[in-house]
Amino acid sequence: MDRLHRKRFTAGIALAVIAMLAAACSSSSTTGGSSGSSLTGTLNASGSSFQLPFQQAAIQQFKSVQPNMTVNYGGGGSGKGRSDLAAGVVQFAGSDSPIPSAETANFKGKTVLYFPVIIGPITVSYNLSGVTSLKLTPTVIAEIFQGTIKKWDDPAIKSINPGVSLPSTPISLAVRADSSGTTANFSLFLMTAVPSVWKLGSSSTISWPSSAHAGNGNGGVAQIIKSTPGSIGYVDFADAKAAGLTYASVQNKSGNYIAPSPTSASAAAAGITPASDLTFHAVWSPAPEAYPITYQSWVLVYQKQSSTNTTKMLQAYIGYLLGPGQQLLEPLGYAKLPSSIDQQAKAQLDKIGM
Amino acid sequence: MSVATRRAGPAIPADPARALSERRPLGDRGFQILALACGLLVLAILVLIATSTSQQAALWFSTEGIKVFAKTWNPAANQFGALPFIYGTAITGAIAVIMAVPVSVGIALLLTQVVPYRWARPIVYVVDLLAVVPSVVWGLWGILVFGPWIQHIYASIGSAVQGVPVLDDLFGPPTSGASFFTCGIILAFMITPIVTSLSREVIATVPAIDREGAYALGATRLEMIRGAVWPHSKGGVTGAVLLGLGRAMGETIAAALVIGSSPTITSHLFAPGYNMPAVIANQFGEASGVWRSGLIGLGVMLFAITIIINIIARGIVDRSARRQRGA
Amino acid sequence: MAAITQDRGPDLREPAGWRRTKDRIATLLMVVAFVVVIIPLGFVLFTVIAKGISIISVSFLTSPIPPLFAPASEGGIGPAVLGTLEITGLATIMAVPLGILGAIYLNEYGGRGLLGRLIGFFSDVMTGVPSIIMGLFLFSIWVVHFGFSGFAGALALGCLMLPIVIRSTYEMLRLVPGSLREGSYAVGATKSRVTMTVVLPAALGGIVSGALLAVARAAGETAPLLFTILGGLSTANPNPFSGANIAIPMLIFNNASSPYTGAQARAWGAALTLIALAFILMIAARLITARFSRYSRY
Repeated sequence: MDRLHRKRFTAGIALAVIAMLAAACSSSSTTGGSSGSSLTGTLNASGSSFQLPFQQAAIQQFKSVQPNMTVNYGGGGSGKGRSDLAAGVVQFAGSDSPIPSAETANFKGKTVLYFPVIIGPITVSYNLSGVTSLKLTPTVIAEIFQGTIKKWDDPAIKSINPGVSLPSTPISLAVRADSSGTTANFSLFLMTAVPSVWKLGSSSTISWPSSAHAGNGNGGVAQIIKSTPGSIGYVDFADAKAAGLTYASVQNKSGNYIAPSPTSASAAAAGITPASDLTFHAVWSPAPEAYPITYQSWVLVYQKQSSTNTTKMLQAYIGYLLGPGQQLLEPLGYAKLPSSIDQQAKAQLDKIGM
Repeated sequence: MSVATRRAGPAIPADPARALSERRPLGDRGFQILALACGLLVLAILVLIATSTSQQAALWFSTEGIKVFAKTWNPAANQFGALPFIYGTAITGAIAVIMAVPVSVGIALLLTQVVPYRWARPIVYVVDLLAVVPSVVWGLWGILVFGPWIQHIYASIGSAVQGVPVLDDLFGPPTSGASFFTCGIILAFMITPIVTSLSREVIATVPAIDREGAYALGATRLEMIRGAVWPHSKGGVTGAVLLGLGRAMGETIAAALVIGSSPTITSHLFAPGYNMPAVIANQFGEASGVWRSGLIGLGVMLFAITIIINIIARGIVDRSARRQRGA
Repeated sequence: MAAITQDRGPDLREPAGWRRTKDRIATLLMVVAFVVVIIPLGFVLFTVIAKGISIISVSFLTSPIPPLFAPASEGGIGPAVLGTLEITGLATIMAVPLGILGAIYLNEYGGRGLLGRLIGFFSDVMTGVPSIIMGLFLFSIWVVHFGFSGFAGALALGCLMLPIVIRSTYEMLRLVPGSLREGSYAVGATKSRVTMTVVLPAALGGIVSGALLAVARAAGETAPLLFTILGGLSTANPNPFSGANIAIPMLIFNNASSPYTGAQARAWGAALTLIALAFILMIAARLITARFSRYSRY
C-alpha cells in the first residue's frame, strides 16, 4: 500500500476504533452500580408543566442527597409525559390527571403506579390595568371561556364586582396549546360546578373559541397574559405567582369568594379519600375555606422495572419528593400533600419493581 | 553490440489492447464506488423519508378517509381534519411572499443595475446577515418584542377599519400580537435573503449587450430594466419566488412561536391561527395513536407540497439559466 | 452654405420630464427596499445584543441550567453549549466527508448521465425540505428503537447539512479548470488520484467555506432536535451517544414561551451566543474564500 492509501487506511481504522470506544462507554447508564447508599445513573422524565417548577427545585436539592445520580425532567405537558412513558423513553412521567380511557391501550396492559406529589390552585389570571381585585363565579368563568361573554364590562361581571370600574375592552382568551392536565382539571371544575352552562367538556385538549391565543405549558399561558392587555387565562398558582400575574377570587361550593393560595388549596385537599390506586380529584371541594379550582399531580411509574438500579433510583427520588421534598412546596406556591395521602404514597414505594 | 544499439532495440510489445478502464487499480474503482454511494445517499434518504413517514401516516389516512380535509382538528373528540393547517400554511406563505418579493427583487435590481460593483459586496454582506439569524432567534424576538409592539398597530388598524366592508373582515381588532399576519411578516424577513440572492444570480445573467443596446436607444434605467432585463429574467425570478414560498411554508420554529396556536379558518388576519409545521412541533410530543399518525400525515403533506414547489421552481430556474447560457 | 445654426435642438442626453421622474422614482424604490431590509435586521441584532450582552460571561457559558424561574444571575447555559458543540460536531463529521464525496461523484464521474442529473436535481430539491421533516423521519426510524440521544440529533442535522455541502462543493469543483485535471492525467494518474491530490486541494478554500456555512445553518436549527434529543437537562451530558441532551436553539425555544424574566434573560444570552457563533463561522467562511480559494465565481 503506498503512503497515501496507508494514511487513509490508518485514519479509517482510528475512526472505527474511536466509534467503538464511544459506543462501549455509552452502554446503558441505568446499569450503574450502587455503593452503599450512593446510587449512580440517570432518570429521564417528562410531563406536567404544573410540576415543572417543583421538579426543577427538587432536582437541584436532590443533588446533595445523591450526587452521582442525574434526574432530567423535560416538562412538555401531562399528555407528553403519559405518551413518553407509554413509549418507554422516560422512567417516570408527571401527569395532572389519571390516564384517560382513550390512552390506556398505549400502556399495553402494564400496571402503572400513581404517586401523588403536589396539590395546588389553578388561578384565573388576567391583565387589566387598574383592576387589582376581581371576583368571578363558575358560571361567569364558563361563559367567558366559551366566548359568550366578550367584553370586560359585561353586566354579568359587573354585577358580582360592584365598585370595580371595568373598561369596555374586549376579552382575549389565553389557553393551552398542548395536551395539559391543567386544562383537564380546569375543564373538570367547570363541568362539575356548572354542568348546565359549560358545554366544552373535560379533557386534556379543549376546542376553545377560535379567537383564543394558545401557548405551550403553564409558562406559555402566563407569558401571553403578561404581554396581552385585556387577556384572561388559567395558570397554575406557582407559575402565576412567579410571573407576577394578578388573579381573581373564585366562588366556591359554599358560596364564599376565595383567593388562590397554598392555604386555600390545602383546605380543599384536606379530608379527601383517594381511591385504592391513589387517584382523586380536588376540584369543587365542599369545604368552606377551600379554593374551588384546586388540583393535584402524580408521578407515574411502571410497577415492573427491568433493572434493580432503576428501581432503587426511582424509590430514592420519589421517596425524596414525598419526604424532604415536600418542604420545597409552599415557598414555590404549592400546597403540601395531606399527611394521610403522603403516608399511603410512601407505603406504595415498595411496590415499584415487584 | 554497443550499448546504444541495444538501448534502441525494438520496444516490448504491449498487451493486446486492454483499455485503460479495465486496467484500473482496485483503489481507483473503490473510490468511484464510494463516491457513487455517497451520491446515492441523497436519493436513499429522500426515499426513506417518503416511505417511513407515509407508513406511519397510513393509520390517519385509513381512519379518516376523505375527512382528512375536514375543517375541525380536535384530538379530544377524535377529529383530525387538516384543513385549518393547510389554510394557515397557505395564508402565511402568501403574506410572506407578497411582502418579501417586491423587496427582494428591488434589492436584486439595485445590486445588479444601480450600484457600482465595488459597493455591491458590502450590500450583499448585509443581506446575507439576515440569513445568519437563526429561525429560533426570529421566533424569540417575534414573540417577546415584535408581537407586543405590533399589537398596538393592529389595534389601531382594527379600530380604524371597523365598518369598512372588506377590510373589516381582513383586519379586525386583534387578540394579541400572535397571528397569521405576524407570522407572515416574520417569514417574509426570513425568506428575503434567499429570494434576493437567487434573483440576483438570475438577473446577472442578462447579456450586457441587451442592456447596453437599450441604453444606446436612449432608454432610462427603468425602461431598460422593463425592456431588456425583465423579459430575460422573468422565469428565473419566478422560480426564485417559488423557492422562497417553499421555504416560508416549511419554516417551523418561528411560526410555532408567533402564530398563536389556534386551529381556525378565518379571514381575519390579525387573529391567532395555526399552520402545518407549527402544529407538528407543538403537539407531537404528547400525541399517540391516530393523533400522532395525523401529525406525521401533516408532515407528509408538507413534504409533498414543498417537494413539488421545489421541483417546479428548480425546473424554472434551471431552464431559464440554460436558456441564457445557450443564447 | 448656411451658417452653422446656433439652435442646438432638443438636448437628447437627458430623457424628457416624466420618463426621468419615473426612473428616479424607481431607483428610489429600490433603495427603499434595501432600507426596508435593514430595519428589521438592525432591530433584531440590536435587541439581541442589548438584552444578551449583560448576561454573557464565561460562567454563563459553563454553568448548569437552573430551574426556569431562577433569576438571571443564577446558572447559565453550559450544558446547551456543550450539547450544540457535540451534536453539530458529530453532524459535521458525518455530513461533510459524505457530501464532498457525493459532489465528487456528481462532478467527476456521473455528471452528464441520467443518474448524475437525478442525484444533482434531488440534492437541490432536498435543500428545500423543511427541517421538521428530518426530525420526524429520524424519530420514526431511530428514536423509537434506540431512544433519545445527541447522536440521533446529529443524524438529523447531518441529513440537513448533506445537500447543502453537496451543492456548494459541486459549485467549487466545477470551477477548477479542466486543464489541471488533464495535466494530471497526462502524467498517468488515476482518476481518484487526480481528484484527491489535484482537484480537491485546488477547490479546498471554497469547499471549506461552504462547509462552514452549512455548519452555521445546522447549529441554529431547532426543529430536527425537538424530536430527537428530549432536552430538559440541567447538567451537561458529555456522552452524545446515550441519554437525552440539549442544545442552544432548543433552550431558546423552551425559554421563549416562559414568563420568567430570568428564563427570558437566559434565552437572550443564548440567542446572542448563537448569533455570534453563526457570525464567526460566516466571517471565517468569507476569509477563507478570499484568501485560499484560487478559483471563485466573482
